[in-house]
Amino acid sequence: MRLGYGVRLVMLSCAAAIPALAAYAHHSFAMFDNTRSITVHGKVISYQWTNPHVYLEIDAEDGKGATRHFTMEMTAPSMLHRGGWTSRTVKPGDVVTAVVSPLRDGQPGGLLLELTLPGGKKMLPGVPNAERYKITS
Amino acid sequence: MIRRPMGTPMKAMLFGACLAFAGTASAAAAHPDFSGNWERYPRPGEKADPRYAPTPIPNPQLKPQYRAEWAAGQKILAERLSESQPPGDNYVHCIPDGMPAMMMGMFPMEVMQRPEQINITQEAFNQTRRIYMNQKLPKWDEVDPSFYGNSVGHWEGDTLVIETTGIKQNVRFRWTPHSEAMKITERIRLLAPDILQDQISVEDDYLEKPWTYSYSFKRMKDYKIQEYICEDNREYVDQNGKVHLKIKD
Repeated sequence: MRLGYGVRLVMLSCAAAIPALAAYAHHSFAMFDNTRSITVHGKVISYQWTNPHVYLEIDAEDGKGATRHFTMEMTAPSMLHRGGWTSRTVKPGDVVTAVVSPLRDGQPGGLLLELTLPGGKKMLPGVPNAERYKITS
Repeated sequence: MIRRPMGTPMKAMLFGACLAFAGTASAAAAHPDFSGNWERYPRPGEKADPRYAPTPIPNPQLKPQYRAEWAAGQKILAERLSESQPPGDNYVHCIPDGMPAMMMGMFPMEVMQRPEQINITQEAFNQTRRIYMNQKLPKWDEVDPSFYGNSVGHWEGDTLVIETTGIKQNVRFRWTPHSEAMKITERIRLLAPDILQDQISVEDDYLEKPWTYSYSFKRMKDYKIQEYICEDNREYVDQNGKVHLKIKD
């Protein structure tokens, strides 16, 4: 819980910083549909700890016995690191549940908003202005 | 300056050495040590202690012939910010800020201080500027323009004064055009043991008067700077200026 609280603090502070956006906006999140979210559940294929963004790839279960590959963009290692994530927080083979702001262009991908680890622990990736992303799923 | 904890015999030796070179030692001790890791103060959403708050960044007072270009840029910038698009194109192309933008402190920064040279590394994009102490500032047309330029520093009491010139014209802060002759003067000092202030003044023939503002930084006691390699940039900008994500199969 300690880590989650820390991440929430980061999110809150980012949320209150709209005038400071010019200084803190990093990459574009406009390609994600922030009016809705989707929840995907499946097996982690890769968790790539890289700049400028960390990527989490999963084979998401479609509910009909098949899977669809899904790519999730996360923030940068620096922000994640300060929020309690490491390069080993998730590993290939882990079964996780992710809440995602989907790509507007319909490709199977999105911005990770929340991740539930195999043990049930919920992790927040410190998305700037997180309150602007509606969780509807 | 030696900062590591030492045993008593070592301390005694150092004390002797200091006595022997009293003049030099006291001169060196007169300068504060900015070495360590720093983050922007206040953090987003944090309320600043008014004693340490940075000054707001005003719009640059450009000469009339440069205002149209600046205004056009600001319009695009405002539109992008309202859409949560990135303010500049640099980061989307894996290109660092350069000076003076890197001092905004996107991520934590590290100061490494030696009497003859001070390095400042911004974690985002591994940006490092090197400040050579007590050297003459080269003329702007004697150096090759670069992202961080050429910086020289000297002490005025407790204040580190840094002069920088030789910034590439395409390296811009807030999309503000400038000449290759732009000169940046910074006055860096401790406002409190753990609060550092950087007063920035930009002088250029494009400006009617110097563009001045300040940043404050807070010491990060247990932080270690992370490496930053722009290794896998999957974002790209299309012809209309919209950013997309490349999805791997």
